[in-house]
Amino acid sequence: MALFGYAGKILRLDLTQRRYMALSTERYRSWGGGHGLASALFWEFCQDKTITDGRHPANVCVVATSALSGAGAPSATGRTEVTGVGVGYDGINWYTRSGFGGRFCTMLKYAGWDAIVIEGKADKPVWVDIRNDAVVIRDATGLWGKDTWATQLDIWNFMGVETGARAGWVALDDLKHASKRAAPDTGRTTQKPAIVAIGPAGENGCAHGSLIHDAGNGAGQGGFGTVWGSKNLKAISVIGTGSIKIADPPALLRARNTLKTKYISSYEEPDFRAWTRVGGLAKPLTQAPIPTEDRRPQACQGCVNGCRARSNLGYGNESACQETYWYNEFIQKVAKSPEEMGQMSLKVADLCQKYVINTFLLQPGLPWLEHLYEEGVLGPGKKIPSSLPWDKLGTMEFVEKLVQALSTGTDIGKDLADGFVPAARKWGREEDLHTGLLQFSYWGCAEHGYDPRAELEWGYGSVMGDRDTNTHCFNFMFTTVSAALAYALPIRVDAKDLVTIQARKLAPYAQNRPEVFDFSDRNMYSEAVAQLVRWQQHYCRFWKNSALYCDLKWPDLINTNRPDLEGATGSDDAGEHVFWNAITGENLTLVSGIRLGRRIWNLDNAIWTLQGRHREIVQFAPYIYETTYEKNELFPFYMWPCRNEQGEWAYTDLMGRKMDRKGFEDWKTIFYRLEGWDTKTGWPTAKTLAELDLDFVTDALRAANRLGKEETA
Amino acid sequence: MDDDTVKLRDGVATAGLGRESDASGEARLGQGEMARRRFLTALGAVGVGTALSPDWVLGKDVMVIPNAEGFLLVDMKKCQGCGTCMMACSVAHSGEVSYTHSRIQIQQDSFADWPNDIHMAQCHQCPSAPCVTVCPVTPVKANKPNPKFGNVRMIDPALCIGCQLCIGACPFVPSRIQWNDSIGKSQKCDLCVDTPYLGAKGGPGGVQACVQACPVDAIAFTPKMPEVNTEEAYTTDLRGPVWKKLGMTTE
Repeated sequence: MALFGYAGKILRLDLTQRRYMALSTERYRSWGGGHGLASALFWEFCQDKTITDGRHPANVCVVATSALSGAGAPSATGRTEVTGVGVGYDGINWYTRSGFGGRFCTMLKYAGWDAIVIEGKADKPVWVDIRNDAVVIRDATGLWGKDTWATQLDIWNFMGVETGARAGWVALDDLKHASKRAAPDTGRTTQKPAIVAIGPAGENGCAHGSLIHDAGNGAGQGGFGTVWGSKNLKAISVIGTGSIKIADPPALLRARNTLKTKYISSYEEPDFRAWTRVGGLAKPLTQAPIPTEDRRPQACQGCVNGCRARSNLGYGNESACQETYWYNEFIQKVAKSPEEMGQMSLKVADLCQKYVINTFLLQPGLPWLEHLYEEGVLGPGKKIPSSLPWDKLGTMEFVEKLVQALSTGTDIGKDLADGFVPAARKWGREEDLHTGLLQFSYWGCAEHGYDPRAELEWGYGSVMGDRDTNTHCFNFMFTTVSAALAYALPIRVDAKDLVTIQARKLAPYAQNRPEVFDFSDRNMYSEAVAQLVRWQQHYCRFWKNSALYCDLKWPDLINTNRPDLEGATGSDDAGEHVFWNAITGENLTLVSGIRLGRRIWNLDNAIWTLQGRHREIVQFAPYIYETTYEKNELFPFYMWPCRNEQGEWAYTDLMGRKMDRKGFEDWKTIFYRLEGWDTKTGWPTAKTLAELDLDFVTDALRAANRLGKEETA
Repeated sequence: MDDDTVKLRDGVATAGLGRESDASGEARLGQGEMARRRFLTALGAVGVGTALSPDWVLGKDVMVIPNAEGFLLVDMKKCQGCGTCMMACSVAHSGEVSYTHSRIQIQQDSFADWPNDIHMAQCHQCPSAPCVTVCPVTPVKANKPNPKFGNVRMIDPALCIGCQLCIGACPFVPSRIQWNDSIGKSQKCDLCVDTPYLGAKGGPGGVQACVQACPVDAIAFTPKMPEVNTEEAYTTDLRGPVWKKLGMTTE
């Protein structure tokens, strides 16, 4: 029977022994793909699930695709999930995840592989060369030390692949250094190998090392570049000429066309300010304007509206969002024009893509370092010695030297190699986590710009999970409404309608319960908000992290392109499940996918439990409780729908408040109870695990004496 | 055609993969391209007796290839490189998603700059149709215009012998004829005439999967044949004023 949507094989790499084997995907089919598949593989192959540093040789890193990868689902075709124990947080680095876009997952699928399990550690640098079913672990000594772009170009050159977009068809057997085969590989392609690589930061064990594919598809959070570096793995290259069987091709094409014509703003009659996730126009997400019109949108495979760009500038291609933004606070002190600011922000992004720094750490991290410098604590000859040109903060010269230090573990990079919070402790600056000078709000993880004191679902989701949750399911309400107010744009949907329409799609936990969006002071520790957090985490664990729908496009809960304002999410004509079912032949619903997400979320919690998770340590950084939220990076206010004492909805500014410790403790009890976890420990219980068909997890937790106890009446 | 461009592989005559025209992608038609409304070709080039059909043969040595009634135009400055067209193409034709089996190829170099970072390679439905003239299958060519569907040049897989001469005869890079290794036949763009999985009527007068699926409308169907058979002539500006408002050039 055809395995619709899947390639059918999983590649298991043993870097220690330099060997590989193929596993059947069929056995892991119930996990869907992506994160679920990866967690199942981690559970099976990681021999020591108590490790808390991703650089440990026992760590298992999984690179996973989904049934939708390479199959044409909208904004769900090009994302790759990466999991494993992370690096760079505070003390315990949880089993965590990251992901990147582009075309790597499509090429991996067409080469015949649904996932890669990376185990062990090579005795010297290697890269992995995958050409359909031929897999070779090659020497990477000559690549070690090179940046990610040079690495990819060198690998193309090694294979005889020319640069430039135009090329003829080539048979894989005709590429250089092709493996000798018993039978010729007759598949041909016009495409270039897709490569994901690490840079110097990952090689040197610096906690902020990331993965980069092509020019600007990065997996930053989790420090997986450093995980790869610890395994002496420089890169994985893949090229494939196969295909993926689709269960119901006309249904797939029909749904795709419906999404385009019904839910997405048209280019004939565009709505540039539509309130929607999936329904916008292609536009780069750079914070500073790209200083040229000679450019195109650039998209991940299968995306409906590319959020990045390639231009004629010669720099900044494929960079967007955070990597183009984190240094702007300083650039604006030296840039003489908006154009220069745009130029510099893109050049800074290039630097980080090549040397592979997780720039999220620097968003709150660099202002903190600046404060230490201005305080006279950090600098040449100071208590924290640093020879970086701090008096030139904001210039290219400074940032180049900063990235160099962070990539090589030199200067302040040496102390920051384990993360910012560990460095703060080493430097005797733990107090900065109380004052809020160092805004690393959960698990030693950089605050994302959506402060937990205001944006509750983001904060709660992060602290109940493994890191900055980085899930924008509801966050667009803040950005869209706040931007409308800041720039005097029309409010397209009033608060009551917004929450009412969105709540229609929140089954199974909060359908038609708009109060879950009420983030007012009186509702912030409520069961309602806990249900919203559950919906987001479970939805994401399956639909985003496993099925691999893009976080920036889905869910589409409200959509002003539609007269009824109903978004595509869960719809019978272009909802997430419609594409899943057309591709796989299954009969999922939006809700059954969310339930599968809960199963995956529970498997993750079991891993965290084995790593040392306990309710007592599930805490925000002290400043979240001890100081009020006063400054947002984007706007001077933080607008969110709230109810007043009369129950009337309005967009309300949430700045100026803090989290109450007891309130949060009460909320945790509510959340654990709803999840079916032990309210005293936060550990999964046997009953819950049995409900989720996770009895094999129960045995492991019981053996480790970390199985949650059932709550007694 | 150049004999030295054909090589033997496992006893089967195959077109050399590296044989295609220069990297500029310019067609090697040359030698005074014939009138664009009807293309006459000397049968001697491929051997007498390899006619498309008796109706299209004028005298002994000359045949007429009627022009196609539909063409795909692309905007290489607009394409967002998402590959959706390739996936839609392959799934509409075969029920499977594949880059290799897509009749339109979107090629990218992530490290190149706009506009040279992307190349859109679609079949031109050439008036001269070198892929048709070279087809050696007799008595009826495997690759021929289909009068039922606007003379779209189509390869009949039931007749194709897998010689791959048509792949090498295509004057563009990459060749707009693909080798389908799963069935051992050549294939090409048919403007979605033969698309059992499209779920709609394809071909001229119908829909084309790539046009329909493109998220940014960077591919268009036209019944009007471009003036000359070059990549430039099959490239058009599909951006319009919206593109300008989005901050991108319409030049």
